[in-house]
Amino acid sequence: MASGSEIEIRLLEAKEDFVKALFWTMAAAAVMAIVITGMSVSAHHASGPFYDSEKRVEAVGTVTSFVFRNPHSFLYVDAPVDGGETIKWEIEMGASVMMSRRGWTPETIKAGDEIKVVGQPSRAPGTFGMCCAELTKTDGSPIRP
Amino acid sequence: MSVTSSDLRENPRRWSGLPLGVTLAVVVMGAVAVPTEGQTGVETPEIPDLVGVWNGGGGVRPVNGPNMPWVPGENFPVLNERGQAFQSVFDEAIAPKYDCVPSASPALQYDPYMMEVTQWPDRVLFRYEKDDQIRTVWLDGRKPPFNEFTVQGFSAGSYEDGALVIETTQFVFDITGFDDYNGIPSSQQKRVTERYWREGEELRLTLTVEDPMFLREPTSYTTRWLPGPEGYKLQLYGCDAEQAGRPRRFLIPKYQ
Repeated sequence: MASGSEIEIRLLEAKEDFVKALFWTMAAAAVMAIVITGMSVSAHHASGPFYDSEKRVEAVGTVTSFVFRNPHSFLYVDAPVDGGETIKWEIEMGASVMMSRRGWTPETIKAGDEIKVVGQPSRAPGTFGMCCAELTKTDGSPIRP
Repeated sequence: MSVTSSDLRENPRRWSGLPLGVTLAVVVMGAVAVPTEGQTGVETPEIPDLVGVWNGGGGVRPVNGPNMPWVPGENFPVLNERGQAFQSVFDEAIAPKYDCVPSASPALQYDPYMMEVTQWPDRVLFRYEKDDQIRTVWLDGRKPPFNEFTVQGFSAGSYEDGALVIETTQFVFDITGFDDYNGIPSSQQKRVTERYWREGEELRLTLTVEDPMFLREPTSYTTRWLPGPEGYKLQLYGCDAEQAGRPRRFLIPKYQ
C-alpha cells in the first residue's frame, strides 16, 4: 500500500505529465495552425477592412488555381451549393516569399485538388472572398507543404 | 570586384574583399595624411559590424499592424489638423501598395521580412526583401541633390559611438507614407533618423520620424533583427500588381 508521501509524489508526477501533455498539445496546435493556413497574415494590409473576423464561412470544393505570388497568394475554389449553382471562392493567403520559407511551393496545392476551407468572409456584398483560412483535405486531414 | 556580405561575414576584417591596390592606397594615404589618434585627440569612430542578412519576421518581433509599431497611448503619432483631415478622408482602396508601390521609411524597416546590409567605405547598402527595395546610405559627406524627391529619399550617414546614424530626407509626398495601416500621409518635409547598433547577436534600431506637414511632434520606435538563416539569400519579391490589388474588391467602398 502506498504511503501518503508516495501518493503525493504520484499526484505531482501526474500533474507534471498533464502539464507536459497540455504544453505539447498547444505547441502542436500552434504549429498545425501555421502549416494549415499557410501564413494567412500577409503583413501587407490589415484584414479588418476586407474581411469580417466575427463570421466564419466554410467551402468544400475543387481547386481551380493556386496563384503563388507576392504580396499575397490566392487560392481559387469552385464550391457547389444547393440548387446546382457553384460559388467561386477567392481565398487570400500569405506572401509567397514567406510561405516558401515554410516549405510551400506553387505545387503544394494543384488545380483539381478537393479541399475544405474555413475562414473569414469578405465584407463587400456579393463577393466570395475569404481570408485567414484553415485549409484541409475534404476528410479533414491537413494540407502540408 | 565588389565586397559582398558573405565575403565580409567569412572574414571579419572589414575591407578584406577590397582590391589590393585600393587597400594599399588607403593605407599609404592614411599613413601620410591622417594624423594618429594621439596626435589629434580625435577618436576614430567605432564601426559596428552590421553586415549580413537579418531576420525581422514574426518570430523576432511583433508583426506590424494598426497598433504596431505605433502603439496608441505610447508612440502613436500626434497628427496636426492637416494630418487629421487627410486621415479622415483616406480610403483604403487607393493605398498605393495595392498597385505595388513599395513601402518607405518609417514603415519599410518594420515590415516582417529579411533585410541584407552591406558596409562599404563610402556607403552602406540596405536591401529589403519586401518590395525588392535598396537604400544607399552615403558616408562620404555628400549633400542631397537639389530639388530631387524619391520614394526612399536621400540618406546620409555616419558612425557615432558604435552606431550607424542615418538621416533621410527628400521623400516624395505619399498618402500612406507614415504608416501602412492607419492612412497617415507623409510629405516632402519628412525626416527619418535611424540609429543602428549591435547588442550581442541582435541588430537594433531606434527610428525617429518628423514631418511638420502632418505631425505635431516627432515620434519613435525601437526594434530589432536577428541573424537570418545561414546562407540565406534574399528572394525576388516581384510584386504582382494583379494580386496586390485583388483584395480591394472585398472592401465596402468608402464613397458610394
